[in-house]
Amino acid sequence: MFRLRDSANYLAAFLIILAVNFFLPRLMPGDPLTAIYGEEALVHMTPDAQEELIQRFALDRSLGEQFLEYCSALLRGDLGYSYYFNDTVSAVVFRAVPWTLLLVGTAILISALAGSIAGMESGWRRGKRTDRALLAGIMFLEGFPDFFIGMIMLIVFGVVLKVLPLAGAMTPYAGYTGLALVQDILRHLILPASSLALVNLGGTFLLARNTMVSILGESYIFTARAKGLRERVVSYRHAGRNSLFPVITHIGIQFGRMVTGALFIETVFSYPGLGLLIQKGLQARDYPLLQGVFLVVTVTVLVTNLFVEVLYKKIDPRLRPCISTTGRKLETTV
Amino acid sequence: MDRRLFLKKGKFMFLMLLFLATMGAAGLITTGCGEKQAGVSKKPADTINGKPGIIPVYTIADPSGDWGYPSPYTHYRRGPGYIRMSLIFDTLVWKDEKGLIPGLAAKWGYNPEENSYTFELNKNVKWHDGQKFSAKDIAFTFTYIKEHPYDLVDCSRVSGVEVIDDYRVKIYLKEKYAPFLNNIAGALPILPEHIWKAVANPQEFTGPEAVVGTGPYRLLDYSREHGTYLYEANREYYLGQPRVLKLRFVKIGNEMSPAALERGEVNFAQIPPEMNDRLSGELEVIKTRYDWVLKLMFNHRKEPLSTKEIRHALALAIDREGLVNNAKRGYALAGSPGLLSPDSRWYNQGVEKYSCNPEKAAELLTAQGYRLENGYYTKNGQELALEMLITPEFEREGQFIRQQLEKTGIRVNLKSLESKTLDALVSDWKFDLALSGNGSIGGDAEILNKIVLGQTFISARYDANKELTGLLGKQLTVLDPGEREVIVRRIQELLAGELPFLPLYYPDWYYAHDGKVKFYNTPNGISYGIPLLLNKAAFIM
Amino acid sequence: MHINYWQEIRNNSLGRIGMIILVLVAGTALLAPVLAPDDPFTQTPDSLESPSAQHPLGTNDVGQDILSRLLYGARTSLATALVVAILATMLSLAAGASAGLIGGLYEKMMMRLVDAFLVIPPMLVVIIAAAYIQPGMIHLVLLLSLLGWPAGARIIRAQTLALKEKLHVRASRTFGAGPLYILKRHIIPDLGPVLTANLIRGARRAVFMEAGLSFLGITDPMTVSWGKMLYHALKYVYLDVWQWWLLPVGIALSLTVMSFTLIGYSLEEAMDPRLRREKHA
Repeated sequence: MFRLRDSANYLAAFLIILAVNFFLPRLMPGDPLTAIYGEEALVHMTPDAQEELIQRFALDRSLGEQFLEYCSALLRGDLGYSYYFNDTVSAVVFRAVPWTLLLVGTAILISALAGSIAGMESGWRRGKRTDRALLAGIMFLEGFPDFFIGMIMLIVFGVVLKVLPLAGAMTPYAGYTGLALVQDILRHLILPASSLALVNLGGTFLLARNTMVSILGESYIFTARAKGLRERVVSYRHAGRNSLFPVITHIGIQFGRMVTGALFIETVFSYPGLGLLIQKGLQARDYPLLQGVFLVVTVTVLVTNLFVEVLYKKIDPRLRPCISTTGRKLETTV
Repeated sequence: MDRRLFLKKGKFMFLMLLFLATMGAAGLITTGCGEKQAGVSKKPADTINGKPGIIPVYTIADPSGDWGYPSPYTHYRRGPGYIRMSLIFDTLVWKDEKGLIPGLAAKWGYNPEENSYTFELNKNVKWHDGQKFSAKDIAFTFTYIKEHPYDLVDCSRVSGVEVIDDYRVKIYLKEKYAPFLNNIAGALPILPEHIWKAVANPQEFTGPEAVVGTGPYRLLDYSREHGTYLYEANREYYLGQPRVLKLRFVKIGNEMSPAALERGEVNFAQIPPEMNDRLSGELEVIKTRYDWVLKLMFNHRKEPLSTKEIRHALALAIDREGLVNNAKRGYALAGSPGLLSPDSRWYNQGVEKYSCNPEKAAELLTAQGYRLENGYYTKNGQELALEMLITPEFEREGQFIRQQLEKTGIRVNLKSLESKTLDALVSDWKFDLALSGNGSIGGDAEILNKIVLGQTFISARYDANKELTGLLGKQLTVLDPGEREVIVRRIQELLAGELPFLPLYYPDWYYAHDGKVKFYNTPNGISYGIPLLLNKAAFIM
Repeated sequence: MHINYWQEIRNNSLGRIGMIILVLVAGTALLAPVLAPDDPFTQTPDSLESPSAQHPLGTNDVGQDILSRLLYGARTSLATALVVAILATMLSLAAGASAGLIGGLYEKMMMRLVDAFLVIPPMLVVIIAAAYIQPGMIHLVLLLSLLGWPAGARIIRAQTLALKEKLHVRASRTFGAGPLYILKRHIIPDLGPVLTANLIRGARRAVFMEAGLSFLGITDPMTVSWGKMLYHALKYVYLDVWQWWLLPVGIALSLTVMSFTLIGYSLEEAMDPRLRREKHA
């Protein structure tokens, strides 16, 4: 029962996205076919092909019928045709999806790990100089646009130090197989993934720090100390355990932002994911492609959020009323 | 209670890790598959490694990467796309640094009495699939091109093809056409009849058979997502063995190409002009011939720019040298009002230059009845105000020109538009001034016809001067090079006088390479006039 | 219990730093015409020069003084941020407070809409919309405002609900005050800190998004803004100019965003009694 209630939000969000995708080109002044396909595409099209497109989008019929036609095409997995790539949008998009997922997944892993460790460290020394420096440093980093950090990393590690690859997701035609290939892909992944992780450290960092701060005042620390365990080890263990939930919830919330950030990072590193497709689509005014990427990314974000939420509630029903991004409330329920 | 919670957390953590791992693995698996395909088709390239002059692998950087599947009907309709296709497909004749050289045809000649060309073909030519090449393939290609036009080569002047025997063919023309060898025989990729006769829809023909040609290279792999191409030398190439055994095209932005060259990751790349001095010590840097021009389009069908003298006044008010120094940091050449650049063999240096002269501009405007009021020229109570359309790319140029014209007393409103919109507005004559560029001015002088009389947005569509229109038509039919040159010079003079547009500058393009392959500028450009260096003839021993 | 929020921010060291940075940035933006060594628009042939006494941050690709452009860019970025923040907060207030006061089906629908909007990444919507509209500055500001309201609306509704039950509000309701009157007299004044926090979040987001869209090249090329400066600087990273062109702009941008973050953070601490206790412990 709760699932239905909760997924209603997502369903509504999905409808909004569909509406944006459907109405935006149709509300533009001028011929909707031009708006949907862009002028360049139409120049290369024969009148027959244009007629076929009008039929296909039901452009000669009412808006309601057009919407039905649009939805049924989506149900068939038909996202339209990209004239720039001369291929169906779905094929183009799904070739790029794995790269973006790889990038975002790695960045999430890095930011969760590094953020928690730095946060716990900071919390342990709260009020001290290290704490303040870390806090200020991470807030400063968070203020940079993703692409800026990416560019600086690229200049420093790629151009000046010459230690990491300049562009792409792997060395083309290097003939690597097996482990060498994995290594090559990882080498290309380091810079973009860590750039993306760096600007997104803040949330996890603050969560872990808060948890650590609150734990230091708890009675079981004293108990543990009495048992002869080293205070620091115990605190880390507890802090790590207690901040796990909020960190994971936070990842769910952050996923959307990460994916958006990845789109920019990919442009900087010519990483062959969805971001590069967006850039190409913008340059070539390939609207079907832009719409396809938009739809796929937003739906992925929705599904991930839903997934995290459902998982979260299923595992611990007691936590239902207090999903929060601050570790504090969770800690009080323990 | 604590324990129960802990267990749950463990399970949760496990699920979460599973989720992340799946995402990561999904990425790895898909990419793994892609690479495997490329890996299978790869063979060790070191069999004749020791031989001098042989280069096992050569890597070329390109900022956009993808230029389409390198088959005649699927490559993108731009120079780099044609180059990638030309490695696989040959033409009847070709050009090296000195001029015309044999391609599929070993000898050729013109028959004036019947306005036709006879080609004697090379006899030892084979298609990449092993089939023999013959004159029938030539005849087939010309027939096929009539049905399925190939945008880059206009064959409408060819009236027929006669196969004399297996290795001799005659091509008849409807009218005299001076650029025939450059624009048709040297540009039309010849298709294998045994493959293409069954192809009804060439734009959608992308199988491995679509890249069977006679050229020096075979396509091993093409990746649209990564913007990469891999070619393998055709060791049985009839004009000699290619020196580079594996040719790679990879995608690297122009900002990163100097670093990639320095790191030795690529052998050849276009570089930003500022890097010319810095790299020329370690690498060979070549400046290509001027081929592209930025024009200030005048709307000569609308007041006040329909008056020739006002157009002259505007040209005099704009300091093109200053524009080059300012917007291009000196890395360009100020435009010649006759359109063609000094690099063109048809260039006329005697045309009116319109060197910056605001006083003379003021005189011309005054003579047209304009009076300076409040800093702006006014006629019948109306200010001389013009709207200038620009694209974001030429924002800097637009700002500069506006500064100059405003200083003279002409009000200018800049309007920045996306390039397609600008083209459409120019096409519909809905503008006063517009910045718009075009290439191919380094190729055959036929470009003058396209830019003055053509009906597209890059063209001035200007036929008000009868002599100019007449000479443009005539220059194409004059086969004597000297005589044609005289006509083309006169055309530039007339064009500069009429000034339906003002050529602003020709930008400098620099390429750097490690010197393993000797590249050069091809006269009149590669094939129909591509101003690039990657001429396949440079790869042949 | 009323807390003096300004006092809180000033007493909070992070908040103080944030305020100082913001005042500095705003000051330079206001005084740009006085401080700037050169006109930021004049193109000169002295392009891509290294820093010198005349041009402390060198010149860009068309010979404009980078420092002057940096100072003028602060104006665009802050003005965008301010307008977007105010517009978005007004929308949040309208949606949130009305939902809280009117209640019933309207409230349910409104909150559904807010929740739905919250899970859509706003940057993507801006990109796709900008691709069609090709926005000038005004359109951009409107677009950013339209997408920035849901988060605030939710918090404002919660606060409104809480305030509604407070004694003085209930008293005024029993005396027959209408919802608009209550909103004006009681709710809005007490929403002060929430609205401020919301304004700051909105401003932060606007600065970010403007930079992102400029980077993708889909904003009006005529404006001088930090995002546009980054966009142009990125084309010359192969030269040393990035050190005095790209870096200062990025740092200015980050400092501004950070000042918003710090102020917002200290405000939240001030509003959350438990966090307050920790701070003073």
